[in-house]
Amino acid sequence: MYATLRDRPDRTVPRPAAPGEGSGPGAGSRGRRRPRRPGLRSGLRAVRAAAGPTVLLLGLTSLLTDLSTEMVNAVLPVYLVATLGFTALQYGLVNGLYQGVTAVVRLAGGYASDRWGRHRDVAVVGYAMSVFARLGLVLGAVPGGLPGGGLVSGSLAADRIGKGIRTAPRDAMLAAAAAPADLGLVFGVHRAMDTGGALLGPFAAFVLLAAFPQAYDLVFVVSAAVAVVAVAALALLVDADAVAPVPRPRRPDRPPPRAAFTPLRDRRFAALVAAGFVLSLAMVGDGFVYLRLRDTSALATTYFPLLAAGTAAVYLLLAVPVGRLADRHGRGRVLLTGYGCLLAVYGLLLVPRTGTGGIVAALALLGAFYAATDGVLAAAASALLAPVTRTSGLALLATAAAIGQLIASAGFGLLWTVGGAALALRATVGSGVVALVVAVPLLRFAARADRG
Amino acid sequence: MAEPAAGGGRPGRGRLVAFGVVVLLAAAAATGYGVHVSRRAARDRATSRADGGRTEAGSAGRNGAPASLFGPGRLVFRDTAHDASYGQVATVALDDPAGPRTVTGLTCDRVDVTATVGLCLTADNGIITTYRAYLFDANLRPRQSFSVSGAPSRARLSADGRYAAVTVFVTGHGYAGAAFSTATTLYDTRRGVGLGNLESFAIYRAGRRIRPADANFWGVTFAADDTTFYATLATGGTTYLVRGDLTTRTVRTLTTNVECPSLSPDGTRIAFKQRVAGPATGRWRATVLDLATLRRTPLADPRSVDDQIAWPDNRTVAYGLPRSGDATAVVDTWTEPADGSGHPRLLVAAAASPAFERPASPR
Repeated sequence: MYATLRDRPDRTVPRPAAPGEGSGPGAGSRGRRRPRRPGLRSGLRAVRAAAGPTVLLLGLTSLLTDLSTEMVNAVLPVYLVATLGFTALQYGLVNGLYQGVTAVVRLAGGYASDRWGRHRDVAVVGYAMSVFARLGLVLGAVPGGLPGGGLVSGSLAADRIGKGIRTAPRDAMLAAAAAPADLGLVFGVHRAMDTGGALLGPFAAFVLLAAFPQAYDLVFVVSAAVAVVAVAALALLVDADAVAPVPRPRRPDRPPPRAAFTPLRDRRFAALVAAGFVLSLAMVGDGFVYLRLRDTSALATTYFPLLAAGTAAVYLLLAVPVGRLADRHGRGRVLLTGYGCLLAVYGLLLVPRTGTGGIVAALALLGAFYAATDGVLAAAASALLAPVTRTSGLALLATAAAIGQLIASAGFGLLWTVGGAALALRATVGSGVVALVVAVPLLRFAARADRG
Repeated sequence: MAEPAAGGGRPGRGRLVAFGVVVLLAAAAATGYGVHVSRRAARDRATSRADGGRTEAGSAGRNGAPASLFGPGRLVFRDTAHDASYGQVATVALDDPAGPRTVTGLTCDRVDVTATVGLCLTADNGIITTYRAYLFDANLRPRQSFSVSGAPSRARLSADGRYAAVTVFVTGHGYAGAAFSTATTLYDTRRGVGLGNLESFAIYRAGRRIRPADANFWGVTFAADDTTFYATLATGGTTYLVRGDLTTRTVRTLTTNVECPSLSPDGTRIAFKQRVAGPATGRWRATVLDLATLRRTPLADPRSVDDQIAWPDNRTVAYGLPRSGDATAVVDTWTEPADGSGHPRLLVAAAASPAFERPASPR
């Protein structure tokens, strides 16, 4: 299993370091590493060596699914309000309601994947739910179709639940397809493709609507067709046995629901989950960041719809190099740097009248935060988890982070109501610094020694 | 389902062929539907004019634009007929609403006018779609432009054109988790400055200052004194009618369940859309509220009205309603008495965002 390449440290989980510690001379003296030429070409070679057909196919599935999802998300608010008469508030409620449902579904999907060793099939079910979600929208939008409100709510729910089901088994397949020393890079490649699809989606929707004004039903039909191709790529082209080369346990060591928590018995993984939970307490929704930036300058107002796209573009560009950086210099260290970037974003929001430079810096830091945390956390977890419980473990980690974010958002909203936006931001930065300090020993413990 | 494929993780030939078939079928379905949509648009073009009455020959486009949009007794609207003039500002004479319409060449999603100035909300479509609000003068020349942060929803001018209010949809990016909301911004057109987002105004509910994190405003209407305005505030799942003061930058709640208020020319009543309890789909009843007594009078039209209602005069209201079935992109302007009597009547076919020139403030 260990495909140690000569220019990489052969430790599965490199030692993380304190956030302030540099990655310069100290890191270089660690191994008998051959001098390497950094640069685009060597980077591309590393990507080609690490990301095999399975990784690229999983990336393609995510790219197409996100393209399909973001096509719809870009037009849905206007469609709902203009055509169905939804109010903004209803949409927000519908959107928020299903976050809780996904946590349960995620754990169940993770357990089922591990129990029967059928990561791909569980992921197919999750991706297929997006297809059903689109078909629901199509039925509501075509002339003579069914009345719309319930279908839209149901379709949003199906999409969220599908996302909850598929993420953990998909990440477990990525981990199975990667050499341990390349996990960060492989997750980076996948996240870059995923984000690329999310960036293309709104663009595709607006091109269609420019050519066919008001033809929301056409946007939904095209989106459904793209989602079908995504599921087909996963179901027909990804080999189920190659991505889950796991001896299926004859019977579970513990009865189901408890068996889903088996990975926590590994104290190093439990420490990583604790770190993920604590760090997520420092997160406030991006929506707030964008709304706050909008009020800082006329430029941000004009290009408001593009702020999220700017963040995604930075994420897209950085996902692969930062993933590789994490493989080489320590995933814990990169994770902490990522959360440091997020705190810097909140700090920037406290500066009055930051102007254009401040906006660009905030978007770049937010993109860097995603590149340094999303895939890197999954890579760090995959390295710690035994293949037989990997999906359950990834689902647990994601659920812990989601609960942390929920608590953070609730606290943020409360503080804002009591004392205003600036107080809420200051409190977030303060609690974020505490979270970083708490996370350092947890991450160090998680990376303490190699398995066995 | 999981039979081993040949080639160590690479898909077998049969599966590649099956995937190719799926791709072809999906492409065929999408293309076929695209053809259907373009045929439908062509059919709408043919029928919307037939319903919409006569057109002034040669009036479409910039060259045919009249010297002035303004004049008493005219209805200004957004043309929604499926042809070259789709989305352009047009006018008809109120005493002959089915008569020839004059198309201006200005493309707007929402429009409002006073005796001397008009307000247009528009999207600059492109690879990067941006949104703009601008004022135009009697010769249809743009005067001031304000960038806005989302798709147009409502536009209103004060009676003398001094103040403008713009509501837009701030659309979130699903991936980034930004919630979807509206943003309402006020402008002082005489000084050429923005007065800020309404969310920055001090909010009082039952006399107490509140600071809701989820405050959302939409649908402003101005009183003739150039200080007072009314709008809808939503917070905590409730919508309120608020009365605002531009000089003190405050808004105070008056009553609940009033959306998109529109003040009558005499300033005594508010026409609005009232949410009807029922399933998740929004349904609104056009209703008139007496400001002195807070008594509500539902209007005769049983259909769901989702528009900021306009007042042709003190006794009548008008609003846009999308056609049902195949042609929801075509909106017609309907009119009915403001006292709940009578029945709705089609005023102008293929016309959205109706605006009537109101007499300027007496002061």
